[in-house]
Amino acid sequence: MRDLYKRLDVPSDASPDTLAAAIEACRHTALKQDADAVLRVPARRDAYDQLHATLSDLGRLRARLGLTHAPHWQDDVANDFSQDSDRSLSRHQELADKLDALVAAGAPSAASRRPWRWLAALLITALLGLLAGLWL
Amino acid sequence: MPPSSFTPFELLLLKSRNQTDTAALLMLAWILANKARALPEDRGYLDTLADDFRHGHALAPLVETAHAQDMAAIQLAAEVLQKDWQGESAHPFLRQAIALATSGGPPSHRNHHVLRFLADLLSVAPEPLSALYKSVTGQPLQHPDDPSRAAYWAEREHRHQQQTHADDTAEAETAARRRREAQARRREEDAAARRRAEEEARRRAAQEAARRRDEQARQRRERERAERAREQRERAQQRRREEEAEQRHRRQQERERQRTGTPPPPSFDTVHALRVLGLDHHASRRDIKRAYRRLAQLHHPDRFCAQGESRMALASRQFQRIQKAYEHLMQDARFV
Repeated sequence: MRDLYKRLDVPSDASPDTLAAAIEACRHTALKQDADAVLRVPARRDAYDQLHATLSDLGRLRARLGLTHAPHWQDDVANDFSQDSDRSLSRHQELADKLDALVAAGAPSAASRRPWRWLAALLITALLGLLAGLWL
Repeated sequence: MPPSSFTPFELLLLKSRNQTDTAALLMLAWILANKARALPEDRGYLDTLADDFRHGHALAPLVETAHAQDMAAIQLAAEVLQKDWQGESAHPFLRQAIALATSGGPPSHRNHHVLRFLADLLSVAPEPLSALYKSVTGQPLQHPDDPSRAAYWAEREHRHQQQTHADDTAEAETAARRRREAQARRREEDAAARRRAEEEARRRAAQEAARRRDEQARQRRERERAERAREQRERAQQRRREEEAEQRHRRQQERERQRTGTPPPPSFDTVHALRVLGLDHHASRRDIKRAYRRLAQLHHPDRFCAQGESRMALASRQFQRIQKAYEHLMQDARFV
């Protein structure tokens, strides 16, 4: 599976006219033939676009997860849909940051009340134990 | 920061009792969303999986997220899975993913790539992935088709046309028959007597031809029967010869072993049977029994009867394979 839009140098949502012009201008005969057969028939273009969208998503995902050089990502697909590795945006880190911010902003009282309760319960049991010891 | 800044999937993940299971469910729902044609039983399969998982919330929001192709959520799920499952420990999940993607025939183009993405994510190399695929579906994992080539569409439409062409020829035949009937009727009006004579002659010729055909068919059948009998005889002889040779070989091995005092190397069948049960050649009889019970429970067809005919057939095939492997190993002398 190749990225015909990228190879023709047009956006993937190009109008039929733009696309036809780009295909006409294409100098690579094999590519021209394939693009003509695939992209100028509406039903075929729809099916192609669906797969194209998924592969673009997968390419982005792989770039963010560091999987652009993996054993299952080969040949035309890897050549056309790989993106520059970009590990700066980790959703997991983002979620952790959000949680930290939440804890820092609103929850100190809730967080600190809990240890106090535990301490109080401990003290009471110790006192009770002491009293029971004295009683006996 | 107000809690509304969390996305729906993040909230689900935070509320979940097991984040890995929630992430795995989202991935399975994504595969379901990427199927060319989702079967109603697939949703049932996902429901039963969700019941087995320990995530503790409803499935519907996950399916919605997956249908919306929400890549931020899918990336988060992928990160969670990548952290918790690597290599062998991801095999059960990949099995479920393959079963879901292939329940209605070969996987869609999109799922071909999604399955490979999941394999890369969980560090499962191409060979283990094709072995898993083979064991789940019984068919080898094919390369995905390439819809960016004109040849793909030409072939696909040719196949489609052949199907419709078969219908067309049937239609044409009925039309021709109708036309012939009309002509015959007209001819009947013109010259009934001549037609009757012709008809008579034709019928006689047809009867003659039919008789000849029957005769030929009978001869052919007899010849075939004789041939088959001879083949069977030959095959029986061959088998007897092979068995004798094998016995001789076995006796020789036995003698050899008694002389040298070492156990013979396991045969290919034994190694294969052990592999079916997920064991290696150090396994004891007890290990085999335990593995067999566990796998038989896991793959028993009765567990799949709520999930449709195809999944049940698949399970029973797997169950038979496990049973055969177990029976083979129980007969093997080394495991007594």
